[in-house]
Amino acid sequence: MSDPLAHASRARQYLTIFFVLFVLTVLEVAVTYVHGHKLQIVISLFALAAVKAACVALFFMHLKWETRVLRATVVVPLMFPVLYALVLIAEGAWRRLGG
Amino acid sequence: MQAAAAPGHAHSREIDWPADAQFGRASAGKIAMWIFLVSDGLSFAGLLLAYGILRGESLQWRHPGEPSLGVPFTAGLTFLLICSSVTMVFAYEAALEQRRGRAALFLGLTALGGALFLLGQYSEYFGILHPGLTREGLIFGQSAYASTFYVITSFHGFHVLSGTIYILITLGRWLRRKATAGQVELLGLFWHFVDLVWILVFTIVYLIPTGE
Repeated sequence: MSDPLAHASRARQYLTIFFVLFVLTVLEVAVTYVHGHKLQIVISLFALAAVKAACVALFFMHLKWETRVLRATVVVPLMFPVLYALVLIAEGAWRRLGG
Repeated sequence: MQAAAAPGHAHSREIDWPADAQFGRASAGKIAMWIFLVSDGLSFAGLLLAYGILRGESLQWRHPGEPSLGVPFTAGLTFLLICSSVTMVFAYEAALEQRRGRAALFLGLTALGGALFLLGQYSEYFGILHPGLTREGLIFGQSAYASTFYVITSFHGFHVLSGTIYILITLGRWLRRKATAGQVELLGLFWHFVDLVWILVFTIVYLIPTGE
C-alpha cells in the first residue's frame, strides 16, 4: 500500500469511515420503517449499501491507493453480476407490464 | 531489493518487489488474495442472483406461519462486523509500525468480534434467550424463503468462522514473530471482504420489504 498519509491522519480517516458506516446503517434501518413508496425504498437501500460497500473497499481494503489496473481487476468482473441483475429486473418489469 | 528469497521462506519475510508497470508494489500474495476474493464474490453474486430470481417470481414470498427476520438484532450484528473491520485496520497499522503488543491486541479484538457475530447467528437460528428462527417455523426445505435464507446466511457465517480461525492462526504466528505486516494486510483484506459481503446480504435478505 503506497498510502502517502501519516499514521495519525490514516487513523483519523479510518474513524471517519467507521462513523459514516455507522450512520448509513442507522439510515438503512430507518428507511425500512417508512410505509409505502416501495420502489423508492428499494432504490434508497441499494444506494446506501453501494456507498457502504465502496467505503469498505476503497478505505479499509486500500483499493483507493492501489494501481488503476488492480482496481479494474477487482471491480470489472464484479460488475457483470450487477449488469445481469439489472437485465433480469428490466426483463421482469417488461413482462409484468405485458410487453 | 531482496526478491531472491528462498522459495520455502517466501512467505516468512517482506519482499521489496520492484514496482510493476501494472500492479505497482502490490505483492504476489496481495494480487492472489484479491483474485480469490473476486471469485468468492462471484459465488455470493450467484447466490444473491438466485435469491432475487426466486423472490421476484414468487407470488407469496413469506408464507403464513413463517416468522419475519429480526432487523434490529441483525443491524446490531452488522454494527459488530463494522467495528471488527475497524479493529482490523488498526491491527494492520500497528503491525506496519512494528508495535507488536498493540497489533496482537487489535487482532484479538477482531477475532472476538467474529466470535460474537457467530454467537449472534447461532442465537438467531437456534435461540439462546429467545426461541430462534428454527423453532419459530422457519424450516430449511419448506419454502424458498427459508432455504435461501439459510443457504446465504450460513455461507456467509462459514466465511466468518474461517476468517476468525484465520485471525487466530495469524495472531499465533504474530506472537511467535513468524507473521509479517504484509500477512496481516492479506488477513485484513479477507476480513473486510466478509464485512463488505454482509453489507449486501443484510440489505438484500433482511431489509428489502416483502410488501406483505
